[in-house]
Amino acid sequence: MSGVALPRIVLGHNAFFGVDHLSSQRGAERAAYFSDVENVMTVIASAVDAGAGGLMLSTHPRAAAICEALSIDARLVSKLELFPLLPYAQKYVTRANELGLVRVVTQTLAEASTRDKVGLGLDFLRTMYRRDPLDMVRALMRLELRMFRKLNVSTVFLHDAFSDLLIALNVPKVFSLYKSTLRKRFGTTAGIATKNLPLLVQRFQEWGMELPVVLTHVNKAGFHMNPSRKECERALTQPNLKVMAMGTLASGFLAPSEAYPYVNAFSAVKSIVVGASSSAHIRATFGSITASKT
Amino acid sequence: MTELRGAVVGFGKLGLLHAGLANGLPNSRLAAVVENSGVIQRIVQQYFPDVNVFSTVEELIEARVSDYVIVATPTGSHVSIAERLVEASIPVFIEKPLSLNAQEAQPLVAALNRNWVPNMVGYMGRYIDTFRRAAQLLRVNILGQVQMIRSSMYVEQLLKPGEGWRYDPATSGGGVLITQNSHVIDKLLWMFGDITGVSGNTSQLVSRFVEDHVHAHLEFASGAVGFIDASWSARHFRTPAISIHAQGTNGTLDVNDDEVRLFLDNSIGETSSGWTTWRKPDLYRPVPLDIGGTQYTFQMIDFLEAVTNHSDLDSNVVSGLKTQLVIDAVYESARRDGARVNVANFLP
Repeated sequence: MSGVALPRIVLGHNAFFGVDHLSSQRGAERAAYFSDVENVMTVIASAVDAGAGGLMLSTHPRAAAICEALSIDARLVSKLELFPLLPYAQKYVTRANELGLVRVVTQTLAEASTRDKVGLGLDFLRTMYRRDPLDMVRALMRLELRMFRKLNVSTVFLHDAFSDLLIALNVPKVFSLYKSTLRKRFGTTAGIATKNLPLLVQRFQEWGMELPVVLTHVNKAGFHMNPSRKECERALTQPNLKVMAMGTLASGFLAPSEAYPYVNAFSAVKSIVVGASSSAHIRATFGSITASKT
Repeated sequence: MTELRGAVVGFGKLGLLHAGLANGLPNSRLAAVVENSGVIQRIVQQYFPDVNVFSTVEELIEARVSDYVIVATPTGSHVSIAERLVEASIPVFIEKPLSLNAQEAQPLVAALNRNWVPNMVGYMGRYIDTFRRAAQLLRVNILGQVQMIRSSMYVEQLLKPGEGWRYDPATSGGGVLITQNSHVIDKLLWMFGDITGVSGNTSQLVSRFVEDHVHAHLEFASGAVGFIDASWSARHFRTPAISIHAQGTNGTLDVNDDEVRLFLDNSIGETSSGWTTWRKPDLYRPVPLDIGGTQYTFQMIDFLEAVTNHSDLDSNVVSGLKTQLVIDAVYESARRDGARVNVANFLP
């Protein structure tokens, strides 16, 4: 397992991009508010002041502007570790409706700027002409991660929509490629998001592969914990498992004072992703995390 | 229990999702893929050496390597593929919508009448926890006599003309009405019973060949009236958002992907008067494997069970055909400037 140290509190990105697993309407309203990067930066600065050491950021079309704004703020660059989550699944899912799977990849690459294409070099040419899936994955990863190049990144997470599919289809090869590309090209560690923690642990053991840093749902309500809360709790006792917990409030269903004593009880949970949309919200939530940590 | 061998026809976005479930759920594994794209064939061969790859459904049937087949091809080819599978006595799961129109589905209906096999149409929305709870409440007549039903589906998918088979009526059957909104019609029929008459209009906001917006008035066999309003060119809807509101003699019911809200004038059984709300985390049921939403898993579990037991399913070709009849009637009404159309007119 990687020796990477994770910050205890990581600010989540969902509010910025209108992702709200409890209310689509509230999600849409927040997306409109945070379309102004200034509003995003205000929340990020408050989170850093309140003790956040990390920011989770999916490669949403708007993420590039956030990265750009962050990169010119020396204080935030030094205090904040970025955790890219890729790819922004919805973008590919929507485009696949129109283009089909192979063309989504080739067209996304074809639309990249000339500078990006040159930056991708051989990976770009191999993907367009050989259409080898491993080349495609490598080229897409490089394209998606370009926006983070001026920022402090040590772990990159693969979105659960993709990792859970690969786990179900039992294809370790793609995970190996993901891991080696991150290490060789970016000097970063591979993280994997999942909604099926026990199955992920089982598969990595079967494959004889080192457990990655795992981003997964941990909450007292058992929301998104499959195949059951109990089995996820058992998996969380696995030695060598390093977890970044998400969905800790079960999308706002649990109060922070109720949620965090539960999450903090697991020693595998090294880090907690917290969604926040205002400074007041940040103070209340972060306070509960530190108060309940023994 | 013997492990079921699954095959997927059409290895696109949904084909891949179903392949994951077919391979990852207990008692099933992915045994074959049918795909005509050479690039995808090569990828499957390279990464799944144990999976058979075929170019045609005939080759798949001939090889006898699958106990069930998932059809996830463009809509226009569902019927001909499913018909051949039924003739070969292979249980079949067909992605929604069933067909381009009700008439086109007839050979499949006839094949099932001759040689019935377990069959399912992929209206996975019935397995979303909130809609499932709403349907349970309606099944015990919690609202009394339902009088009025409002429904909508919005998603920001298309703000300029789209590319690909979904925007070509010859392969998709039409626009937003038959694609995403078929989910709403399926849910209305499932929750409130048959629709007998419709009058509707469709509009093109950005597309050239298919409708981007539909609005239709609906008459239910129960006496209830209602409407659907749907668009795939609706801003601020990151993912498809379906809402249904029903008013009955006892109160009201609102359901969407996020929550169920019930209002009752008087307590009924264990449900108290006033507002009761169930949110997604209240209703959450874990699954053995979640890829892209628990509704897909529950749907596949039901299908696999029906394959094992040779039993029927709620969402099948018969119910899929009913949805198709309502869609046909709305298109016909729109062609006639919103005139009232009897759904029964489209019964072949």
